[in-house]
Amino acid sequence: FFAEKHSQLDTSNGCATNFASLQDSGDQLTEEHVTKGESTLSITVVGASGDLAKKKIFPALFALFYEGCLPQDFSVFGYARTKLTHEELRDMISSTLTCRIDQREKCGDKMEQFLKRCFYHSGQYNSEEDFAELNKKLKEKEAGKISNRLYYLSIPPNIFVDVVRCASLRASSENGWTRVIVEKPFGRDSESSGELTRCLKQYLTEEQIFRIDHYLGKELVENLSVLRFSNLVFEPLWSRNYIRNVQLIFSEDFGTEGRGGYFDQYGIIRDIMQNHLLQILALFAMETPVSLDAEDIRSEKVKVLRSMKPLRLEDVVVGQYKGHNKGGKTYPGYTDDPTVPNHSLTPTFAAAAMFINNARWDGVPFLMKAGKALHTRGAEIRVQFRHVPGNLYKKSFATNLDNATNELVIRVQPDEGIYLRINNKVPGLGMRLDRSDLNLLYRSRYPREIPDAYERLLLDAIEGERRLFIRSDELDAAWDLFTPALKELEEKKIIPELYPYGSRGPVGAHYLASKYNVRWGDLGEA
Amino acid sequence: VVVQDGSVATESSSSEEAKDVGVLTIPSLEADKVVAESDGGEQLSTVSITVVGASGDLAKKKIFPALFALYYEGCLPEHFTIFGYARSKMTDAELRVMVSKTLTCRIDKRANCGEKMEEFLKRCFYHSGQYDSQEHFVALDEKLKEHEGGRLSNRLFYLSIPPNIFVDAVKCASSSASSVNGWTRVIVEKPFGRDSKTSAALTKSLKQYLEEDQIFRIDHYLGKELVENLSVLRFSNLIFEPLWSRQYIRNVQFIFSEDFGTEGRGGYFDNYGIIRDIMQNHLLQILALFAMETPVSLDAEDIRNEKVKVLRSMRPIKLEDVVIGQYKSHSIGGVTYPSYTDDKTVPKGSLTPTFAAAALFIDNARWDGVPFLMKAGKALNTRSAEIRVQFRHVPGNLYNRNSGTDRDQTTNELVIRVQPDEAIYLKINNKVPGLGMRLDQSNLNLLYSARYSKEIPDAYERLLLDAIEGERRLFIRSDELDAAWALFTPLLKEIEEKKTTPEFYPYGSRGPVGAHYLAAKHKVQWGDLSLDQ
Repeated sequence: FFAEKHSQLDTSNGCATNFASLQDSGDQLTEEHVTKGESTLSITVVGASGDLAKKKIFPALFALFYEGCLPQDFSVFGYARTKLTHEELRDMISSTLTCRIDQREKCGDKMEQFLKRCFYHSGQYNSEEDFAELNKKLKEKEAGKISNRLYYLSIPPNIFVDVVRCASLRASSENGWTRVIVEKPFGRDSESSGELTRCLKQYLTEEQIFRIDHYLGKELVENLSVLRFSNLVFEPLWSRNYIRNVQLIFSEDFGTEGRGGYFDQYGIIRDIMQNHLLQILALFAMETPVSLDAEDIRSEKVKVLRSMKPLRLEDVVVGQYKGHNKGGKTYPGYTDDPTVPNHSLTPTFAAAAMFINNARWDGVPFLMKAGKALHTRGAEIRVQFRHVPGNLYKKSFATNLDNATNELVIRVQPDEGIYLRINNKVPGLGMRLDRSDLNLLYRSRYPREIPDAYERLLLDAIEGERRLFIRSDELDAAWDLFTPALKELEEKKIIPELYPYGSRGPVGAHYLASKYNVRWGDLGEA
Repeated sequence: VVVQDGSVATESSSSEEAKDVGVLTIPSLEADKVVAESDGGEQLSTVSITVVGASGDLAKKKIFPALFALYYEGCLPEHFTIFGYARSKMTDAELRVMVSKTLTCRIDKRANCGEKMEEFLKRCFYHSGQYDSQEHFVALDEKLKEHEGGRLSNRLFYLSIPPNIFVDAVKCASSSASSVNGWTRVIVEKPFGRDSKTSAALTKSLKQYLEEDQIFRIDHYLGKELVENLSVLRFSNLIFEPLWSRQYIRNVQFIFSEDFGTEGRGGYFDNYGIIRDIMQNHLLQILALFAMETPVSLDAEDIRNEKVKVLRSMRPIKLEDVVIGQYKSHSIGGVTYPSYTDDKTVPKGSLTPTFAAAALFIDNARWDGVPFLMKAGKALNTRSAEIRVQFRHVPGNLYNRNSGTDRDQTTNELVIRVQPDEAIYLKINNKVPGLGMRLDQSNLNLLYSARYSKEIPDAYERLLLDAIEGERRLFIRSDELDAAWALFTPLLKEIEEKKTTPEFYPYGSRGPVGAHYLAAKHKVQWGDLSLDQ
């Protein structure tokens, strides 16, 4: 009946990925054994008491369980230093589990079933003995079945390698696969990232490392390739011939709020740009891959990154938010955060212009902008098209022709949507032109809740689908682009432009844009 | 005419131009437009609009209401007079009662509507006369002069009369009631003949009395908001023009459906049939606008030149590329709907098509091989007019494995819905949100009613205003008309000579299945009949 279950997953509820590449032997094994009903999956969340684990990982695992996307036989282990009983872990988890709005049925039951499969093991992150203990417990649960093991490292980067060493040496699966999910930061520059990769590879092969960039799991980022490659109407426009510039914009409407300790060591460029925005850029700009297989897609992404010029200091604007009074309320400056050093120069905002030196994109500015404590919260991709050559309607435009070009906007969050700004005639007598949107608002088209990025990524890791994970050479190429500028910023102690909490960010971003004849799409109009 | 707020430019410019009084001479025809524009606001010029056939249906339902709407919006010149002309005996007051019944105020601007109506009606007069009587038109001329009160007089005649008396009315109006010092223009509406020969004869007769630039042939589809917007979409958006050719477009569909039959008024229709009534004019005009090359400018002559080029590049339609149908009676839910020949005004045994589908081809570099499909019918399941552009498949589609449905059906489609519920939407493929990878078609949407709260003006308003302003862009030039007839005449002759029997389809249905076979022959699938539509 396992076979039945599995094929059901594949076809009806869309849980199983359709792309699982079955090339490596580990996967082959899994597939075979799942169908024989003898395999089991153990997911160990290392750092189980942390924030990410509580808020994202356990809820995502539950959602996958609820939707029937986890294998029949699985166990979830929490691993951390704190002493906890299974019951205490379950209590902790259950407080963050939620049911999808559209599927409340039997949710309580399901939760109970899920929690019964959750266990806790307390241990040090660098103790091989403690991991050997974990291994025993895992074996007990696995009860002689083919064992597949997934480790999710939800811990600070300085103990990544220790954990990987212990887990790999003492708690690897003997007859199935062992995979490790790690999340940023992957170093803070080329050297430290290279060092991390080198250390990880002492204990793991490239195929075992699943580097998460959770932006790649967002619905509209996933849809980006679908839009490009399954619609005839977009591909002809996707080049320097028609695209004037591309903007990748990330804004948060809150600051570090007392948790700036980690952030201050990295800054917004490392925290958002070098990974999330650059990954989206690579997906946006890549050539058509040979297939949708992970290696083909990642190879194309690496090509984009390697065609890019390293970011130059003069193409970057950095900012930091300062305190601001508004409506009787005082919002703190970045350095008011007690966890942030008083004279920190860490940017909480950055804008950058980047270029891809290849035949498709030569001369097209790719602008990135990311900031905390801004007036709005959102992530979007904006594609501004060139002007219409020899526009017949020039006379009809009251506004600047330059502002009336087409724009494709992909809103990643919140309120997922796609819209294409077009010029059309204002209905009525006479001839007046106007911009309107051809709209697709996900909320109205798809009433179902969109799964969290972590659900997708966890499922992909379980299934061995590597498309949305970062390969080592991608990571190296990404750091090579940002490392020189980051070094220079820090060596020259460049002072960030201050901007008020809740504002639209430093004006420097506009000057940077205007240097490349670009106008930010998100600040242009409502 | 490029005017900021859509009303006539002259309204705002009256004070500056009031000084320039003495320069007016009898304008040459080429200068018509200039004069119209610069004089409208002066105290000394006036427009008289004579609706010939004032007691007819079109006049009551469309022309007078459109004139009132223009007046309400401040688009008519300061001084104007409206005359109804028909054979019935009527007083001015009786005409006003008749007109007032059909006037409505725009939903969004009810203020002062009653007052405005009264003011408007005061400017409406009636003159009774025969359509072929010089004396009666002389009498009309006298009355017009009286109202014009010595101002520079511009005169617009709207011929809302049967085609057999077009020429008579034009002859009388032109020789006895033309303006002496301003312009005289005549609006005529279809039918413009019933084939190349009769159309040419009509044009020749009209030209005995009128210059080409005095003749305003209305095709009211060209006045529809979304047809007007077609050129804006194409030429003011970078993203559409690169796609606008055989390289990316698989086929184009022009679809017109009515959900009612002739309903006791088939007398006129039976002489013409759906091909002449809808295809040869409305749909073909939209096709020409759709397919034309970029004109040198937006001036009327430039646009019409490009349209003629399209028509002249087209192959005459072959009989085997046409399917005709006629509706038959049908009972649904206890109600029986009549067949076409049940209409008392239609001869028994009539073979006149009430439905037609046709495949047309443009043999030029841009469109070679792309089927342009037309479909028009009465008594169908729905009422609408739309343009559908189906794009080619994605070459080497990476997602082939993921489309559960036929790859051919999941191509992009641009739909321009002319009526009802004006809208533009682009069908795109996207990922169904959720885990896994399933593709799906969604629409990038622009629904006019959601975006624009203003009521969209009726096509007749736009066209009347354009005629008053001398803007000829939306009117059919003689050579366009000739080219249009040249395409359809051989086909129509053949259908009639061979007495081709139309395929019957039930009243209220989706039309004869033959339309599907015609489409299939050219590897097309009708976009309006697909399930997800």
